[in-house]
Amino acid sequence: MILDLHTHSVRSDDGRAKVDNYCQWIRKKELPLDGMVLTEHRQWDDTSDYRDLEDRYGLVILKASEVETDYGHVLVFGVNEDLVNSFDFARIDNPLPEVLAAAERCGAFAAPCHPGRRNVGLFAHYERKGVVDAVHTVEVLNGGSIPGEDELSVEKAAEHGYRGFGGSDSHIVSRIGFCATEFDDTVTDIDGLVAALYGGRFRAVSLREPV
Amino acid sequence: MSDTEGTEPASTEVQEAKAKYVGFVFDTATFTAEQDKMLAWAESVGETDPRFTDPSNPDFQAHPTFTASLVSRRVLPEDFPKIGGPRGIDGGKAVVIQQPIRPGDRLKASATIADIYEKTGRSGTMTFIVQRMSFVNQNDEPVSMVDWKMIRNP
Repeated sequence: MILDLHTHSVRSDDGRAKVDNYCQWIRKKELPLDGMVLTEHRQWDDTSDYRDLEDRYGLVILKASEVETDYGHVLVFGVNEDLVNSFDFARIDNPLPEVLAAAERCGAFAAPCHPGRRNVGLFAHYERKGVVDAVHTVEVLNGGSIPGEDELSVEKAAEHGYRGFGGSDSHIVSRIGFCATEFDDTVTDIDGLVAALYGGRFRAVSLREPV
Repeated sequence: MSDTEGTEPASTEVQEAKAKYVGFVFDTATFTAEQDKMLAWAESVGETDPRFTDPSNPDFQAHPTFTASLVSRRVLPEDFPKIGGPRGIDGGKAVVIQQPIRPGDRLKASATIADIYEKTGRSGTMTFIVQRMSFVNQNDEPVSMVDWKMIRNP
């Protein structure tokens, strides 16, 4: 199955897409997505309930977070109360090793996103500050990347032996599904997603229309 | 983008500003909802619904975004620090509609700082200052709330 692991709704301060509209778009455009993960910026959305939309559109809709660290942005899947209390999701300078360690301790899965982004991505920080040993997986395909960034992500991920996944990083409906992640196993809930990510049986896929 | 992205000092500065300024009213202003201004605003945003463009319509009222055109005397509290760098960008306004505003309504607005936060992106660390204008009418009924995001970056 294919999930877009990196999307933003109006819950993010810069998001312009309602989740309902994402669902309508996926169905109207017949995108090969089985679902999406909402990764709202610098917060854990504990209140939104998308189960009705899941039933109405036959899509998996899961919630996660995109936090900011001293090595760039990081997606965290499987957020729970323990993790929320482990570090400040609103800060922009959380130490990456602490975020990774907290996620693992709390049964979540954390991985840097758009690592090939110039100046602000994980690999740019590596050049200035050194490698963070606890990184194991990165987002190698990001729908918001400009030419060259994903290529760098793929190259550097291979160099470091990291697994790679994909996400659209969509903030408006028409950009969902540009990049996504194909799983060998079926994922229906957040625990299943975390298990699938730790299992490593997935790959990044680009669904962009040919230019 | 500088190498100082996401470093401690900026964040501490924002935390201190949040603690000091968020939630406190720093200015008030009064306005009268004048029909001519309501019509001019509706026209300027391209509205065609007669509820907002035709004074003879029985439900004539101000366009939902009319209050976004009303500003207080002060944009920020008098002693607000110069956080986030010298360059300012208008990050847009969001309007919450609570009650229709009718011609002749006397509006009282209270200005507060609703939030201050930082985020990092391609252009570096940006500081967002959200100014909130809360409007009540002559009956003290809430009619509108406008959040104006001001972005500052180095």
